Amino acid sequence: MAAIQLVHVSKEYGGGALAVNDLNLEIAEGEFVVLVGPSGCGKTTALRMVAGLEEITDGEIRIGDRVVNDLAPRDRDIAMVFQNYALYPHKTVYENLVFGLRMRKVPKEERRRRVEEIARILGLEDMLQRRPAQLSGGQRQRVAMGRAIVREPQAFLMDEPLSNLDAKLRVQMRAEIARIQQTLAVTTLYVTHDQVEAMTMGHRVAVMRGGVLQQVDTPQRLYDSPGNLFVASFVGSPAMNLLEVVLERDGGTLVCRVGDTDLELPADTVGRRPALERFVGRHIAVGIRPEALSEAGEDPDAPRLRGRVLLVEALGAESLAHVEVTGTPLDRPELVDVAASQTHLLPVGERTATLLARLEHDTGVRPGHIVDLAVDTRRLHFFDLESGVAIAAAAAPVTAAAVG
Amino acid sequence: MSSVAPIAPVPVAPTTARPAAVARRRLRRGHVARRIGINLLGLAVFTVMIFPVYWMVATAFKPGRNIQDYKPHWFPAPATLSNFTNAVHRPYFWTDVKNSLIIVSFVVVLSLTVAFLAALALSRFRFYGRTAFIFLILGTLMVPLAALIIPLYITLSRVHLINTLTGVIAMYMTFVLPFSVWTLQGFMRGVPRELEEAAMVDGSTRFGAFVRILLPLVAPGLVATSIFAFIQAWNEFIIAYVFLHDGSKQTITVWLASFTNLHGTDWGPLMAGATLTALPVVVFFVLIQRRIAFGLTAGAVRG
Repeated sequence: MAAIQLVHVSKEYGGGALAVNDLNLEIAEGEFVVLVGPSGCGKTTALRMVAGLEEITDGEIRIGDRVVNDLAPRDRDIAMVFQNYALYPHKTVYENLVFGLRMRKVPKEERRRRVEEIARILGLEDMLQRRPAQLSGGQRQRVAMGRAIVREPQAFLMDEPLSNLDAKLRVQMRAEIARIQQTLAVTTLYVTHDQVEAMTMGHRVAVMRGGVLQQVDTPQRLYDSPGNLFVASFVGSPAMNLLEVVLERDGGTLVCRVGDTDLELPADTVGRRPALERFVGRHIAVGIRPEALSEAGEDPDAPRLRGRVLLVEALGAESLAHVEVTGTPLDRPELVDVAASQTHLLPVGERTATLLARLEHDTGVRPGHIVDLAVDTRRLHFFDLESGVAIAAAAAPVTAAAVG
Repeated sequence: MSSVAPIAPVPVAPTTARPAAVARRRLRRGHVARRIGINLLGLAVFTVMIFPVYWMVATAFKPGRNIQDYKPHWFPAPATLSNFTNAVHRPYFWTDVKNSLIIVSFVVVLSLTVAFLAALALSRFRFYGRTAFIFLILGTLMVPLAALIIPLYITLSRVHLINTLTGVIAMYMTFVLPFSVWTLQGFMRGVPRELEEAAMVDGSTRFGAFVRILLPLVAPGLVATSIFAFIQAWNEFIIAYVFLHDGSKQTITVWLASFTNLHGTDWGPLMAGATLTALPVVVFFVLIQRRIAFGLTAGAVRG
């Protein structure tokens, strides 16, 4: 087991396009780090550079205490699981599993013992003599995992290993891979475009966009304090509601003007974000997680937004309400990447924004109703409209710059 | 077809299953008729294809007087082996068989080796002029052989390769190789690159990954290519006829042509010789064709 370090790593393809731009990332010994981002963000390139399948234009990659920049893949002592499994079709499951050991000249008896042990752990004992074509998708996935595990390498590299499985199997294998990683405690770098996978599996999650690392943190902290608008919109399902608002001073307090409603900000929220003062009188972006919205109670002073219900999705444990309010939805290029996971159903006019609220499962709210949504103003997220960077609470330095 | 419609509408339940069954039967009948039609067509094509071969073999066994009889003899009865003995004892038979085998072996081995490496470069590496090179290969296949004979003769005579087996081998390579490269790179593209990458991560060198993973997977391609090379080199006539002058240096196809001379054609021995000449191709094909159909790449990636 060894740590992996990427130091100022860049990858330039012909024509000057930077697939990976000055990537700094450290994966501690035994840690499970997930590299996540929309397609084309450079995450797979980064992984392949660690594997040695892609040359590095600039920077340094270390595995353990060795700089591996110029080492061939076979000399890096890593194992990789490919998106399409890449099982050797002309070899049986046993031969697939044993191939790496044979290449490394592990003694025959030892090879057999290790393959049989892995086959037992992964439930492949009855399939050792089959060829990949005779296996189901889930079984192939297991063989691909087994081929990596049996080598007992310094680190695992996994390139979207679950993306070819159906939804149910994916959830199952997700847990299985996380469990295996926990048991073996092997340093793992895992690439996916699925933020749910990233959040559920990784000890830490690294979010990339356009070849640039946006933020690295634990899943919870990534969710609680996204460093910029991109991360805010990318992490979380359903996605965060993002609005353009005006920050105003109203007597002794700050208020966010959403359309024609003023949301008063609690003193401690403002207190922990001294930077907010600089934005008074200006437009900023505000993010509201769906669970920070609820049906308003009797208290007339509580901050609330009034809107018309467009749709209610009953999910059993909760209901998701799409509520149209007066306000300006945020429209920025970096949010386009994740448009698919945004739930703005209807074309919204300039002055109306659709908010997603996570309501109780027994809510009486129906489409067409006018509802008051209580806003938990202590859980608002604030972003600089120009840079997209979070106006963060002082205690948590999470911007991209702070990570490097 | 319309015979079903007039069935009297019987109102009770037991008949409800009947129209479906009728329809099914009619469907099946249509299906059977189509299959019979297709099989008959296949049989007709087979007959047309196989008849010349049959006639060659049959003639080889017929005694001379039956061969040119005005009334065709469909079967070689009475049969004789005298045509074969005659053919085999003609001058240069064994020498020319040996020449042909030498040429074919070199062409097959050389073209497979070179084509494998060339196809590897084309399918696995990006380099300047790659696409142009692929089209160039295709282009060379389009030039008719007859147009090349004179220029090639002049070229070869300058390097003193006329009337040598080496010269003919070089000539054959010029049309076997482009085809082989083209075919093999198609097969290689069908093998996912990740397989080699997996092997490299697992501990192979790049070349080791080609040999251990890619080579077995493109085996059907190698087989198809080698059959092509074998047949082309074994059956080729014009180049061998023009470039090889001595009886002792000729190939078996040129030897066959010697049965036709000023006095006419000696059909019996010619057909016997032709039958003998066709045998190695058949044997080679039977030995090797089982591997073609074997779809090796199945199951490499998600299914």
